[in-house]
Order: sequence, then C-alpha cells, then structure tokens
Amino acid sequence: MLKVENLTKVYPGGTVALKDLSFEVSDGEFLVIIGLSGSGKSTLLRCINRLIDPTEGKVILDGIDVTASKGAELRHIRRKIGMIFQHFNLVKRSTVLTNVLNGRLGYLNPWTTTLGIFPGEEKKRAMDALKRLGIDDKVDSRADALSGGQQQRVGIARTLMQEPTLILADEPVASLDPVLAHSIMQYLERLNKEDKVTIVCSLHYLDLIQRYATRVIGLKDGIKVFEGLPSEINREKFKEIYGEEAQDVRATALE
Amino acid sequence: MQRYIPFLKALRKLLITLVLVVLIILSIRVTEPDLVKLVSSFPKAESIMGQLLRPVFFDRESEKVTVSQVVPVPCDSVPVPTSADSGSRIVLDPPCGSPKDVINLRGFDLPQNAEISLRWILPDGGLLSIKNIKTDDDGEINMPLEIRPITSAIDGKAAQISFEVTLPNGKLVVAKTLKDVINAMFVTIFMALIATTIGTIIAIPLSFLAASNITRKGKLGTVVYYLVRAFLNIIRSYEPLVLATIFAMIVGFGSPFAGVIALSVTTAASLGKMFSEAVESIDTGPIEAITATGANRVQVVMYAVVPQIIPDFLSFTIYHWDINVRISTIIGFVGGGGIGYLLSQRINTLQYSQAGTALLAIILVVWALDFLSSEIRKSLV
Repeated sequence: MLKVENLTKVYPGGTVALKDLSFEVSDGEFLVIIGLSGSGKSTLLRCINRLIDPTEGKVILDGIDVTASKGAELRHIRRKIGMIFQHFNLVKRSTVLTNVLNGRLGYLNPWTTTLGIFPGEEKKRAMDALKRLGIDDKVDSRADALSGGQQQRVGIARTLMQEPTLILADEPVASLDPVLAHSIMQYLERLNKEDKVTIVCSLHYLDLIQRYATRVIGLKDGIKVFEGLPSEINREKFKEIYGEEAQDVRATALE
Repeated sequence: MQRYIPFLKALRKLLITLVLVVLIILSIRVTEPDLVKLVSSFPKAESIMGQLLRPVFFDRESEKVTVSQVVPVPCDSVPVPTSADSGSRIVLDPPCGSPKDVINLRGFDLPQNAEISLRWILPDGGLLSIKNIKTDDDGEINMPLEIRPITSAIDGKAAQISFEVTLPNGKLVVAKTLKDVINAMFVTIFMALIATTIGTIIAIPLSFLAASNITRKGKLGTVVYYLVRAFLNIIRSYEPLVLATIFAMIVGFGSPFAGVIALSVTTAASLGKMFSEAVESIDTGPIEAITATGANRVQVVMYAVVPQIIPDFLSFTIYHWDINVRISTIIGFVGGGGIGYLLSQRINTLQYSQAGTALLAIILVVWALDFLSSEIRKSLV
C-alpha cells in the first residue's frame, strides 16, 4: 500500500513541479499517471523512491515513511521499489548480464561487488530473469548492441532482480514503436497479475491506458485534475488534462 | 551615412592588409633570414647532412697486434731472420748490425696516422723504449735505428724490436653508439611510461574534483571545482621543456629523473583536464537507475560511472604516453636524460654520424608508438 500525502516539489529555480498532491495505491493495482510533458509525472515517480527529495509532504510505503528515511534504511526501501525508464538507463558499455546483476547490488556485500564479484546463485537468478523476458541469448552482448525493445526488457530484468513489491515505470514505452510498446506493457501486466507487483506507470497513449490501467490519475501543472477508472476518461476529461489543442489528435480515439 | 558603408568596409580591409604587411616586414627584420648564407654554407650543410644520413650501426672489430722483428746483434750471433712479405711487419736494412751501427727501420701495412710506441725487447726480457712515432698516410714508418750495446744477443738469444698496433680484423660488430642509443631509447620510453603512470594516478582524483557534474554542488564544491580547474590551467600553461630545465637544475643535469618529474606534472594537469571532460560527459541515466536499485554510493560509482569513463581514460592515457615519448626525446636537450641528452651530446661534440643513429632511432620509435597507440585506442572505443 502506497500513500502519497500533500506532496509538493519546488525546484531551486522556483518551478513548481508538484502541488499538494495526495493519492493512495492499493497492493496489486496498475495505476497509470497521465499528463502533458512537464506536468510533473517524472518528478512524482522520483519522489516516491527519493531520487528527488520532495519539498513538502510524505510518501508512505507499507507503513514506512519514505520521505523521512535516509542512509541504509532508504537503500533498503529502494531495494523493494523497481524502476523502469523511458531511455532504459542501461550502462551501455557493460554486458547485458552485468546490467541485470546491477539490479541486485542493494542485496549484496558492497565490498565483493566493488571488486566485481557476484555469487553464482545471483548469476543464475539473472539468467532466469532474462529467460522470463526471452532475451537470455543476448546475455553476453553489450547493452548498446541491443534494439530499443530488447534494452527495455533488460531494464525489466534488472528490476526483477530486486524482487520488487512496487514498480515505478517512467514512460516505459515512449521510445518504442506501438508493437513493441504492447509487448513491453504485456510484460508489466504479467508482473502485475502473476507476481502481484503494484505498478505505477506514466503513459501517453490512450489505447494503452484503456487496455492496461486499473486506475488513472491525471496531472496538469503538478495538480491532480483526474482520478478514476480508465473508462471514465471521456472527451471532456481528456481535453481537461491535455488541453484544447490535443483534442483533434488524441480524442479521435474516443469517438 | 548608409552609402558610406561599402567604403568603410573597403577601408577596413585595406587597414587590416596594411597592418599584416607591417607585421610581416617586422618579423622578417627581427628574425634576420639570410638566404645568401643559406646558399653559401651549402658545403658545410652537405657535410653535416651527409654524416647525419649515414648513421652508425656497426663497427669493424679490431684487435691489438704485436709486430716484432728479431735483430741479431752482432750479425753472426744468431741466424738472420727473414722478413715477412705481407701484413703488419718491420723490415730492417740491413737485417742485423753491430752495436753503434745505425740501420734503417721501416714498417709496412700499419694503421694510418697512428701513434705507435717502438721498443726493444732485450734478450733478458727487459723492455727499452725507443721512441713514439706516427705512421704516415700510407700506414708506414721509416726511421733510422741506432743499435745499442745492451741489445747484444746472449746465449744465442737475440733482442727484438717490437710495437703494438690496433688493427681491424674484418669482423662486424654492433657499434657502441648503437648500443648507447638503444639504451638511451629505453630510458626515454620508460621515462615516458613512469611519468604517464604517475601523472595518471594524480590526474584521476583531480579530474573528479574538476568535473562540474560531480563536484560543483553546494558552496564548498563550487569553490573546490574552480580552484582545481584554475590549478590545472596554470600548470598546463608551463611547457614540459621549461619545467624540465628547472628540475634539471635541481636534481642534476642529464638525469632522467628531471624529465620524469617535469613530464609527470604536465601529464597530471593535461590528463586531469581531459579526464574531467570525460567525467562531465557521462550519461546520468545509469547513475539514476543503479541508485534506484538501492545500491550504495561506492557501488553506484563502480557500476554506473566507472564503466562509462574507463575506455576514455585508457585511451587518453595511451595517447599521452605517446605524446610523452615524443616530448621526452626533446627533454634530454635541456638536461632531462634519455635519447635527447645523448643526441645533444653527440651534436655538441660534432659526432654527426652518431647523432644520425639517435635521430633514426627517435623517428622509428615515435612512428611505431604512434601506430601502436592509435591501434589500441581504436579497439577501445
């Protein structure tokens, strides 16, 4: 259970990215966050695992105040929160195996991993994760030798190594073509359904939202302007979230 | 006003041209080029260039040969020996004599213009110097020899006249110069290697301090960032040659150590700058991703930063080693040791053929390292 209470983020330049945002996510939900670029989606996701420190408000995960924790405690919380990125954020020059093993660093002895030593069972775990995503044949390739869809699957495999209870996905398919987008979303859906992982995901495409989300939150200029079921997003709501100009381009899908 | 603009532009061009012409005239007057001298000194250049282009690799081995001839005193004391017909030899005319006689001594097939010490080997084994004499252009000597009573034969054993000469025996051996050059070349290469290593070790921490994305955070960080940057820039403005001159005065002229210190300092500054730019250009995505997995700071640096900078760091380091070998060849001229020092010594003592050997070695090594370093760097990208 994830609780976000009165979250506000003001950047040093004075930009208000999030304004008094509150919502709850129950275990096993597939929550999708929508909104224009710059509406605060990325900031919100990063405030949840404290890659960004919020200015005010609280994030509470399973009863623990994430915003108040630091050091080892924060790292232990982060271990259980997976994150998937729009640009995959793999270490391009490292192998696929190393990239996947990176997901396990929070669990392992800092000294041996600093020397580049990973236990055999972790390598097996990494292979299992890669098998599950169907890219175990690429294990020894350099990450930058892979296509975008393959790189995102490595990103998901890295997250699997964390054995997460919550996955934050920051526009995971925005750099991929529609076919690949569905394939990546299906992997996330399987994690959600089979492994009971709660998912908080920001998305742009309406058809993906209708297909995968169990609930939707709409953000506009850091303010929550919509919260409800995907089926509740009608033309009016869409216009409200995305603005007048977006109507012609996107809303046709609703007709 | 508007219509004057083309005129003003033309005037400006004219002015710029004039200034350039004046500058060129000034520079000619300052540097005093003397084309007549260049042509008139051609014979001198020919001799120097000729020697430089004929580097020494091998020497003919030579050995010491003792040339001697038995001298019966008086003539009937021992049988008169026959003189050899070839090789380094002494011919006496007449071949024997009595005390107080003056006979003619000639030597043939000796080294040209060589100083030889003529001496008697007396019947009892004692030595008696006669005189030092120089062979002529044909490698011969010709002198009167006074026979002294002390040289009289005793019990059928006659005195000998003898001297030693150094003669080439035709065998080719590696010239000492070549050995010296190879030794000095290794000194230079290792000088560059150790300087690059020391410089790199110093440059790594400096580069992180001089990288804005790592250090320029908060007040203290910003101050450190600017201080380190300024420090690197100041050091970089000193040429390694200047530093080497200074250190040569401190630790001793001709010592490779002076060159090592100078090169280490400049390498640290220059690599520090290059490394910091590599650190600044890293992709922050992996840092974010690995931080999000719950890894600690050291793990983030090891797995997100290091893999991104290692190829650049290695490539810059190898490139700098290559540069350092090139610089250290010259550094010897100002007393930094190695091949440059040897070269400057040979030039100062007018041994141009030997200087040629050193020059050739420098060209070969610089070319080979240039090739090697670019091949390695290609494979790192």
